[in-house]
Amino acid sequence: MRQPYEFEKKFGDQIYRCSSCGFCRAVCPVFGLTSRPALNARGKMLILQEVLEGRAELSEELVDTLFQCTTCANCSVHCPSGVEVPEIIKAVRKDMVGSGTCHPAFAGMKEILDRHTNIYGEDEPEDFGRERNRRAEYVYFIGCVGQYREDEATEETLRLLDRLEVDYTLIDEVCCSGVLEDVGFQMNQDLVDRNVRAILATGAKTVITGCPYCYRTFNNKPRYAALKEAGVRVIHISQFLKDFDWDVRTDKVVTYHDPCDLGRHTGIYEEPRETIRKIAPNFVELPNARAEAVCCGAGGGVRAAFAANSIAMARKRLEEVESVGADVLLTDCNSCLHNLANAKLRRQKFKVFTIAQFLNRLLDEARVRPGAKEVA
Amino acid sequence: MKDDVKASLRELVGDANYTDQLIDLIAYSKDGSEHRHRPDAAVWVEDSGQVSEILKLANREKFPVIPRGAGTGLAGLAVAQSGGLIMDMSRMNAIREINIEDRVAVVEPGVVYADLERALEPHGFFFPPDPASGKVCTLGGNVATNAGGIKGAKYGTTKDYVMALEVVLPEGRVIRTGSRCMKTSSGYDLTRLFVGSEGTLGVVTEITLKINPRPPLSATAMATFDDVEAAGRAVSEIMHSGILPSVLELMDREGLRAVNTVTGADFPEVEAILVAETDGYTEEETVYQMKRVVDIFKKNGARSVKRAKSREEAEALWAARKAAGGAFTRINNNLFVEDLSVPMSRVPEALKVISEISGKYDLRIPTVGHAGDGNLHPCISIDARDPDQVRRMHEASAELYEKIVAMGGTLTGEHGIGLAKAPFMSMEHEEGTLALMRSLKRVMDPNNILNPGKMALDG
Repeated sequence: MRQPYEFEKKFGDQIYRCSSCGFCRAVCPVFGLTSRPALNARGKMLILQEVLEGRAELSEELVDTLFQCTTCANCSVHCPSGVEVPEIIKAVRKDMVGSGTCHPAFAGMKEILDRHTNIYGEDEPEDFGRERNRRAEYVYFIGCVGQYREDEATEETLRLLDRLEVDYTLIDEVCCSGVLEDVGFQMNQDLVDRNVRAILATGAKTVITGCPYCYRTFNNKPRYAALKEAGVRVIHISQFLKDFDWDVRTDKVVTYHDPCDLGRHTGIYEEPRETIRKIAPNFVELPNARAEAVCCGAGGGVRAAFAANSIAMARKRLEEVESVGADVLLTDCNSCLHNLANAKLRRQKFKVFTIAQFLNRLLDEARVRPGAKEVA
Repeated sequence: MKDDVKASLRELVGDANYTDQLIDLIAYSKDGSEHRHRPDAAVWVEDSGQVSEILKLANREKFPVIPRGAGTGLAGLAVAQSGGLIMDMSRMNAIREINIEDRVAVVEPGVVYADLERALEPHGFFFPPDPASGKVCTLGGNVATNAGGIKGAKYGTTKDYVMALEVVLPEGRVIRTGSRCMKTSSGYDLTRLFVGSEGTLGVVTEITLKINPRPPLSATAMATFDDVEAAGRAVSEIMHSGILPSVLELMDREGLRAVNTVTGADFPEVEAILVAETDGYTEEETVYQMKRVVDIFKKNGARSVKRAKSREEAEALWAARKAAGGAFTRINNNLFVEDLSVPMSRVPEALKVISEISGKYDLRIPTVGHAGDGNLHPCISIDARDPDQVRRMHEASAELYEKIVAMGGTLTGEHGIGLAKAPFMSMEHEEGTLALMRSLKRVMDPNNILNPGKMALDG
């Protein structure tokens, strides 16, 4: 008898509860791109059933499917049998890594975070010309993508916070390291400790994250429990901005892409829309919005490991943006922003921004004083 | 399958459309039923020319070919029982023509039911069968199974809408059947032969469907009954009253109990509920029909009748029935969805039989049904890892089929025979009928290439 897998202990029953109805075909972004049943949730569950029955091994042959899941949760939200596919996939990846099977991109991510402070292995963080680690009411936590890839969006977000005269500080932040658990490893305790120490040292009672994924990690991972114990509240920038009024408007047709980490995983659908509706009377929803939103293709390590498919998924999402005739696509996740902006074709004339970035631009264009007042 | 055959297949469809990787073979090993067997390889086909070449190769090299759509079937139709090649039709997914003047839609077999719905909606038209898997199932699969859905009583099933087909015959010849004329009496009705033939006689590569104008208005009501037979009598009376409800659905006490247990809802656990929808072009017409339905509910002793006054209220009345599919799968690890159909007058009797069998074999069998057309889905809920439960499930099914057939019913209303019910074909069809089916199969597919093992045609 083989030793039971770790994933089996927690998810064995669920893997068998998949009734093979195939309804996940309608919503899986990887399947939508490839029409390959091995890559959608049903295929993955069938493969895992065979693994549990000893008819297949957790080997290299399975990497293409088990490591190619954006963990967007569109399947589990729509699963009639309630199978929590992303959680299962993450657990399986741990067993695979434990037995020495891993996608090289994920192994590389682990190595980088062993040696560096962020997923890009860059040692020179952008300081955005602002003082760090000072005592303040709020900490603004940028996240790796906002820090090293979408620094323009971050700069504009910070300028918006300045305009609103928010008493915030940046910190010597490092990767929240939550992503390691998604790709088969343990979180990095050293990185966790550094973040917790830096946040607590500011005396701030609220952390505003620019990244929905960091938001989830801080709020849900037991390793970050010290924040809650110290009475520190962690919110996402969309939750912070929703309580302001704005005296700027745009005539442009604006649409919004729900990030999976913010929407399906966290239930934050309304807050971004509250802000958008205040500034964009010509707001239109994408054909697949809220819980139905189609993933941009960046999550679950897919952008690093299966770059071509990741970009192609983003292109499919951008087709929806074209179909509603939007001038501006807003989202509220730097990772989505990054993938969608990279995937945008030259003929697609719409612009892609985060909500904070777009707000700051409107205020720049209007050349008005902040004019914004907190109503909450 | 030999390596040189695999190489030929790869050459025929191109590297990107061929696979024999382990993950694909496992993913293609199963459909929505409990049947499971790995194929040797799979291809995604792009046109009838490729299908033809592959079938010719299959005849030369004698390997089975199993056409497959979304693989949502519940009877094992798309499972490679004896290995061979899965022919995935889902990338042939173009809607070739929507012609409102002729009232037809011409589609490739891989078009998803819901995608055709979306394309027809702006024209105010629809393709009515409305199978429960409509969001993912393909029209090719609908044709292969002669799929139905909740609108059968008024609108019929797939067979009532397929006007013409392009089919690649097992030996590779491409033919066309039927006509896009609304009426034709020309020659054998080969179109009907292929509809419901489960991929055993040919591979459908183009479908011409009749489409219907969609009535814009509907009315909804739900009735509860303390007596299943009274609910059955109400159904029967409605269906010969001159009114044809667009939907008339039933759920039994065990079903309501399952929904309450799993979802935490608080639906009354009565013996049966009936949900009815009428549709029409004017409010008067729609409401008149519903009034008649409600009168018949009351006359037959309904404990309560609720009429929806708004879309929200209609959704509330549908809530229990709509929750059934998800709730039933969560009672236990496995759910076997049966698909029996009986003459309208026998619905109460069929429900009684299901209840008795549930008791006799100590199995939970919540039941939903398209009462308006006599099609019932007793759903047997078990943990398939327990051999004793599996044995009881099989024995219960066999007894159920026997009793249903004995009352003039049929083994399957809309899912097909496939592997699941192949052993029971002789229960329903007499020897001469089965012999003719087998002769047809031999004439059309002498090497038994296409989807072997299904529908008891090999016997």
